[in-house]
Amino acid sequence: MNQFVFKSTAKTFLISFMILGILCMGLTWFSDDAIHSRFWTNLLHNSVFFTGISLMATFFIAVCITAYAGWHTQFKRVWEAFGSFIYVGIGLMVFIGIATYLHMNHLYHWTDEADVAKDAILKGKAGFLNKNWYLFGTIIIGGTWAFFYNRLRALSKAEDDNGAGVNFAMHRKMRVYAAIFLPIVGFTSAAMVWLWIMSLDAHWYSTMFAWYTGASWFVTMIALTILILLYLKGNGYYDNVSQEHIHDIGKFLFAFSIFWTYLWFSQFMLIWYANIGEETIYFRERYDKYPILFFGNLMINFLIPFFVLLRNDTKRKFGSVGFVAGVVLIGHWLDFFLMIKPGALHTAHAALGHEDHGHAEEAAHGAHEGAHGVADAVAHGAHGASEFVSGFTLPGFLEIGTFLGFLALFLFVTLNSLSKASLVPKNDPYLGESLNHHV
Amino acid sequence: MRTASHKNLDVVYGLYDDEEIMLDAVRQANKEHLDIMDVYSPFPVHGLDPLLGLEESRLHVAGFVFGAMGTLTAFLGMTWIFTKDWPIIFGGKPYWSVPAFIPITFELTVLFAAIGMVVTFYTICGLGPGVTNPYLDDRITDDKFCIAFDKSNVDVSAVESFFASTGASEVNQKTI
Repeated sequence: MNQFVFKSTAKTFLISFMILGILCMGLTWFSDDAIHSRFWTNLLHNSVFFTGISLMATFFIAVCITAYAGWHTQFKRVWEAFGSFIYVGIGLMVFIGIATYLHMNHLYHWTDEADVAKDAILKGKAGFLNKNWYLFGTIIIGGTWAFFYNRLRALSKAEDDNGAGVNFAMHRKMRVYAAIFLPIVGFTSAAMVWLWIMSLDAHWYSTMFAWYTGASWFVTMIALTILILLYLKGNGYYDNVSQEHIHDIGKFLFAFSIFWTYLWFSQFMLIWYANIGEETIYFRERYDKYPILFFGNLMINFLIPFFVLLRNDTKRKFGSVGFVAGVVLIGHWLDFFLMIKPGALHTAHAALGHEDHGHAEEAAHGAHEGAHGVADAVAHGAHGASEFVSGFTLPGFLEIGTFLGFLALFLFVTLNSLSKASLVPKNDPYLGESLNHHV
Repeated sequence: MRTASHKNLDVVYGLYDDEEIMLDAVRQANKEHLDIMDVYSPFPVHGLDPLLGLEESRLHVAGFVFGAMGTLTAFLGMTWIFTKDWPIIFGGKPYWSVPAFIPITFELTVLFAAIGMVVTFYTICGLGPGVTNPYLDDRITDDKFCIAFDKSNVDVSAVESFFASTGASEVNQKTI
């Protein structure tokens, strides 16, 4: 079967999960604080997560074309299908951008002009961290990504129709687009990560953050690829995608999980070693208030893939690779949760007139231990701010429901796109190599 | 890999110009139940190992063991040095600073695994400085693919007709 049929039962299934997601988001909105920080962080969290996955899929297609790689050619339509989410993802990010522009949300501390005016650090960053850059940067850069995706996809489909024999014209054109896209995506993805995620902790910065986030996206993309391929194979498609291909994707899952850990650790160790207060506060917050996620993140995203996929044969067995892919998918979603929630929660607390919690705690622990600091810390303890709060320090049911809704939306767009073209790109010059792939 | 332990072996072997022809010949030999002693090629040939019934190498087990030894050596070594033997405060950090140990632990893991695997591989193959290994033909390290039979295990005339029918470019006998 070379044509994927998006069955109506699958559609109903996914749509019902999307409805669940919408319901959860509605419930979040109405059970939220005055500035709806839980709703907006959840929306940002999932939008960024899935937009990044689709960007990484397009990026990896471009990498494979530029590297003259052929092992993946049979199922490159899966990555093209992931890439098609870029339109939806950028739409969501532009929506968040408009809301930020119009001050409808309070995700980012730097949108508060009164605060920026009296804050030397934020003033220094205002050239980049401002609502114009956020909205128009998202539109222009996201639009660029969508344009390159659109060209690569159109050429790939055109190759199916007109690329028979030795007509490599379309492939050569794809090579040009791919080579141009690579440096663009390298720099712009970093810029978007700074704007979308890192600026949630507006005072803090790390030069490794963009890479770290990118690695997280990439691992998730590989994990989803494995899960989708197993699903399609289970439904009788992709008979020629064999253990050999799964082995190679399993290696990517293994290798990039280690790469992610390398970046995580390098970022941590540099900050830990330099021990500068402005930098360590990022980890202090997460270490003190999010211990389960902080250590669980490393367990799930490093120890499980590392030890399960260390052996040769576990990378070849669908069961073990699929298990790790599922675990890592959830693990990296939690990783993004940990990147996004603490900073946004901090901003929300400040905006809602609470005493800045981090400072209160520092004061309580510091040499100037005054009645004020202690009282504040106690008051916050009573509020539950330093305890586990569903939806903030740990994902609650509403977060899980929202995630499932977004995942269903992502899969809906993916499967819809898969059904629009033949599953195997029949005229790709590398198809033969892929069919005879042997590790 | 088996040649190192053999002495004074009477061998009949055929040389092939192409690895695909050689692979077909191996399939044919399996079909005719001819007991192949070994196959030599200038580079690893995909799909040859399962045809010869070779098991997957266990070299990576050695790699894991040596790597784990490296991990332990580095981590326990640094722990002993920095907490018992010669405690020094670096940058106001505690004596037992696990994050600072990790890069070195990683490096020693890689070093031990790499050196351990090389030494294991050379030992198993009987390679190393000063060791001479018998060989059938110079050209099997260059551009020829060789299937060799132990004369005591096979009927030489059957083997010769097998070589003729599968397109061997040369058939020779040698005692190694």
